[in-house]
Amino acid sequence: MPDIYTSEWYDAVRDAINAGVGQLRSVPEGRFVVAVEVVGDGVSPYVDAATERRFLMEIDEGSCLWYRELAPDEDERAHLDGRVDYRFRGPATVFDEIAAGLLDPVDVALRGAIAVKGDMRLLLRNAEHVASLLEAYTNAVSTTWPLGQPPYAGAGPDPHGSLHQQGAATGA
Amino acid sequence: MQRRTYDAIVIGAGHNGLCLAAYLQRAGLSTLVVERRHEEGGGVNTEEPVLAGFRHNLHAQYMEFFDVMPMIADFGLEDLGLRTVMPEAQAGIVFPDDRPPIVLHRPDLLERTHASIARYSTSDADRYVELKRRAASLEAMVAANLYSLPVAVPLDDQGVALESVFGDLGVTASFVYKTPRAVIDELFETPELRALLYRATVEWGAPLEEAGLGAMFVTFVMWTMGNWKLAVGGTHTLAKAMTQACYREGVDLLENTAVESILVEDGRAVGVRARGTEYRAERLVASNADLRQTLLDLVGPDHLSSRWASRAEAFRYGPSHVLGTTAWCLRDAPAYRAATVDPDIDRCFYTVVGFDGADDVLRYIRDAYGGRLPETAAAGTWVNSLWDRSQAPPDHHAATGWFFLPKASELTADEWAEVRATLNDRLLTSWQAVAPNMTRDNVLADRLYTPDQMERKNLMREGDFSNGEFSFDQIGVNRPFPEAANYRTEIEGLYLCGPSAYPGGGVHAACGYNAFKAIAEDLALASPVVAVRGY
Amino acid sequence: MRDAYDAVIIGSGHNGLALGAYLARSGLDVVVLERRHEEGGGLCTEELTLPGFLHNVHANYHTFVDLAPPQQDLALVDHGLEYVRPDVQMASIFDDGTALTVHTDLDKTCESIARFSDADAETFRRLYTEAHGYVNLLLGTLMYQPPMSMKELTRALSVFGVEDRSEFLSVKLRRETIDVFLDQHFTHPKVKAHLAFHGAVCGYANDVPGLAMSFPLLVGKIDNWNLCVGGSHRLAHVLWRDLAQHGGVLISDAEVASIAVDEGRAVGVVLADGTELTARRAVISTVDVEQTFAHLLPAAAVPAELAASVEHDLVHQPWSLFSVHLAMAEPPHYEAAAFDPDVDRAWVVNLGYASTEELDADWRAVRAGDLAPRCRPNAAVNSLFDPSDAPEGCYTGLLRQIAPYGLAGKGPAAWDEIGHWYGRRCIEAWRRFAPNLTDAAILDWAPYTPADIPRKLRNMVQGDWMMGEVSLANMLDKRPLPELAQYRTPVDGLYLAGSTQHPHGFITFAPAYNALQVIADDLGLEAWWRDV
Repeated sequence: MPDIYTSEWYDAVRDAINAGVGQLRSVPEGRFVVAVEVVGDGVSPYVDAATERRFLMEIDEGSCLWYRELAPDEDERAHLDGRVDYRFRGPATVFDEIAAGLLDPVDVALRGAIAVKGDMRLLLRNAEHVASLLEAYTNAVSTTWPLGQPPYAGAGPDPHGSLHQQGAATGA
Repeated sequence: MQRRTYDAIVIGAGHNGLCLAAYLQRAGLSTLVVERRHEEGGGVNTEEPVLAGFRHNLHAQYMEFFDVMPMIADFGLEDLGLRTVMPEAQAGIVFPDDRPPIVLHRPDLLERTHASIARYSTSDADRYVELKRRAASLEAMVAANLYSLPVAVPLDDQGVALESVFGDLGVTASFVYKTPRAVIDELFETPELRALLYRATVEWGAPLEEAGLGAMFVTFVMWTMGNWKLAVGGTHTLAKAMTQACYREGVDLLENTAVESILVEDGRAVGVRARGTEYRAERLVASNADLRQTLLDLVGPDHLSSRWASRAEAFRYGPSHVLGTTAWCLRDAPAYRAATVDPDIDRCFYTVVGFDGADDVLRYIRDAYGGRLPETAAAGTWVNSLWDRSQAPPDHHAATGWFFLPKASELTADEWAEVRATLNDRLLTSWQAVAPNMTRDNVLADRLYTPDQMERKNLMREGDFSNGEFSFDQIGVNRPFPEAANYRTEIEGLYLCGPSAYPGGGVHAACGYNAFKAIAEDLALASPVVAVRGY
Repeated sequence: MRDAYDAVIIGSGHNGLALGAYLARSGLDVVVLERRHEEGGGLCTEELTLPGFLHNVHANYHTFVDLAPPQQDLALVDHGLEYVRPDVQMASIFDDGTALTVHTDLDKTCESIARFSDADAETFRRLYTEAHGYVNLLLGTLMYQPPMSMKELTRALSVFGVEDRSEFLSVKLRRETIDVFLDQHFTHPKVKAHLAFHGAVCGYANDVPGLAMSFPLLVGKIDNWNLCVGGSHRLAHVLWRDLAQHGGVLISDAEVASIAVDEGRAVGVVLADGTELTARRAVISTVDVEQTFAHLLPAAAVPAELAASVEHDLVHQPWSLFSVHLAMAEPPHYEAAAFDPDVDRAWVVNLGYASTEELDADWRAVRAGDLAPRCRPNAAVNSLFDPSDAPEGCYTGLLRQIAPYGLAGKGPAAWDEIGHWYGRRCIEAWRRFAPNLTDAAILDWAPYTPADIPRKLRNMVQGDWMMGEVSLANMLDKRPLPELAQYRTPVDGLYLAGSTQHPHGFITFAPAYNALQVIADDLGLEAWWRDV
């Protein structure tokens, strides 16, 4: 039962990913670096408002080699020849709720709550692999929430509008 | 434009403004050009104003200064798109009866020019050819004259110099006091040749019957005759190449932006206000706009001494260089009856049609100068698509012409509308009389731009292509007025760089080039490569 | 002119200029060659009527301002580019004096639709809200990447379960027309007519099977119509400025006569005047496929199968546009303003289509080479939002009417006979809704017929503004032909980067941006530009 955004939690996500990938018929060839940028929104207690936490993940032949958080002053491009193939950026509450299984990540992307950059063709061509990664992130790890668990009650106006309602329905 | 502060701001992207901007930026001054229109180039302007695919030059037509224009070499404009054609037969005139045409050729083909004039008069042919040869040899002097700040030379001294060069050809020192017309009449006996030379003189911008301009015919007009080049693609190609040179130097240009005022603080020009935004100029502001607009509208009388304000008020536009541009989309190029005598007339760069002879030209010019619509429908015409296929669709031709017309203010809006509705038809009748294939069927469409429209399009007041009359009191060291003759103004940091300044209208970029020289002197900037060229 | 460059780009439309600027900023020595006297291609603003009236002869609507990478990559705003996004983006005015308006404010749009149908207003709100969420992601995915196949796309959508998650993105849509989509979701004919009209102005005909798939994306940008201040040509100027300030050269009046090929590789071009230019690294064509493969390349360099496809398989929009450009002393005052005052400050105005059936009938007529039975042009008066495009106190107007390129039995040249007559009919159609537009209010006007289009811009073959039909069969990896869809060609070193390529015409810059990725890969250029 790792706490959210701890190294134990990253390792658990990694293991869940790799367990899921094992079931797939095909995986994308080669190595990819994925950056995740979780932006403090004043609602999630895990990221201070107006700051961000950055995570990096390396995928090799479909499997996750490592997943970890970058130190605040660490250069993401110090890794793997400076490559970042994909970048996911959005408000902390949205990431928290995805990890808590309350939001559906495809929904989130479709509604523009998380911005996705990178070669979308590869992402679409390897849709099963991506779906498996998302499943691991969303539902495969039993996460604990030391500072409180989403949905965050009484935290002011819903920062992502209709998303929450819809997402909660999907997650339920 | 995000940036708000530059070393230099140039008002107007006419070719003089572009020229100045390129030199300023190269000299290390960050430069912004602010242009009212959506296109750069001012009068160096080519459009498709009638039908798709037919190009027409709406202002400047032929290019006579390319061999001497410093910017072309200094900024490699030929690498940036400028290309030219120089047709062999340069200037012609045809008549509605059986008289032969006169066709003047390039300076390297003077024997053909001679043969053409000799159909009328051997002595005129001899004299014309020798005058032309002699005037051509003055090229370095003409160029040095144009591309330097104006120098006051007493008329009598000019006369002496003139006679020393041309004395054996019937030119005397007293020509400097005469009118161009008197000089032409004195030199040439053939009315048909006189007609063509009258027309060439007024096109240079010189009032035909104004005393004191006679020397101008012998030197400048004769030097110009037959030096005409066509810019491939239209004259606007020059503006494009100049603009591109500016960009490559790093100049910024803001189009669609009318300057509302020149900012003056403590007697110094410090920037401009344009569309509500202030742009600061730390070193200088230069105006390619005309004199009155620059001083009276943009600076404003509050910042001017009463002398400068009254000088600006007194500056005159027209009537001697007011033109209407006529544009024609043709199936076939005009085929002149006179081609049976001299086939060159059908491939002549510039052809004058509609005049019966010298008296007719005089009558016409007097009407136009006098504010009356001339009775004769006659024009100088170009069919550029004969040499440059890009200017018309396949199997078609684009023809453009110039009418001399009264000043814009002489006719009412309705009267100008009437001129636009009728004058082209009248020209077509004249044209058909000399070129039978110029029937209505040969014309897909046509259009006339009148001086009032020219005024609105480019702010050329009164439709004056010289942006200030080339009268005796407004040329040389008197242009635009004596105190302002060296491009500087009484406002510190404000310069003139447009055709209201010496030497005036025409596509030579000398106003911009000389303004740069004045600025370079004031700011101790590196000067252009005068040493190599001599000017 | 210098005789050798790293990259030679044929055509200075927005794609050619932008690609030139990207490559120049990447350190390549670039020349862009333009046949006309003006750069910009469809970014063409001319004083067609009277001095000071700036008419956008082709591109008038810029809907990808926020998404298109050159905006930031080439610092276009720093160069002076400005856009206005009118509050009232569009209107439909109907014969009965009612009107519908689309605003940048969604609530106002829904209020307007609700005057016809509350249910449709609610549906539109849901559709817009949903589409607005994914439009940039999907357009980024679909448009600003070299194209995938429809099969791959629909498979991915199905794996991601998009259909279950979206009310409006159904995989089935890839077989349906926009009309079907509208019938499935909306009830009121006028609401449907307006939405179909919006698609038509975007180049998407509402009766063409398969285009329903794109419809939610069109709706996502329905309020993103921007006007380029000073005329669309201003965008061409700033692109040129960026190109030249980074060392590139634009040469106008430089018609390319042929592409030089040596041992299967494009090595340069020859101009119509005989000038030979060497291309050290790439030749990039942004002109039409017919010119590139049937005229510019030597026949021996084009594989026989491709040559046959170019001759037989290219498909153009089977409709074109007839335009009237007007110089006006006053703006239109619509009688329908009594119903909805906002129509007088709407930008793009549908004059009379009140049902999709009326549009469908006109598509059928126009595809058969006939004039639409009744003129229902759309009108735009840019000066309402950009007074700099007309003399003070005056207005520049534009009418556009769907029309055939060739008139049945007579061909395109017949337009030269009827252009003025038809222009007057279009003006009369406008006047029916805005009676103040009397002859006195119209200072001058000029028709611009479908036949004029390729005369001005040769690559808009058959008056086709999109440079290739927008249809399922000519989309994604099939556009313009399967073997040319990925911006490379069978000739090494020759690339395609014009509107013939995926996605299509319009000021998207996507063909240039996508070709850039391919060229950068081949030439080993480091990508400094932003991802979409």
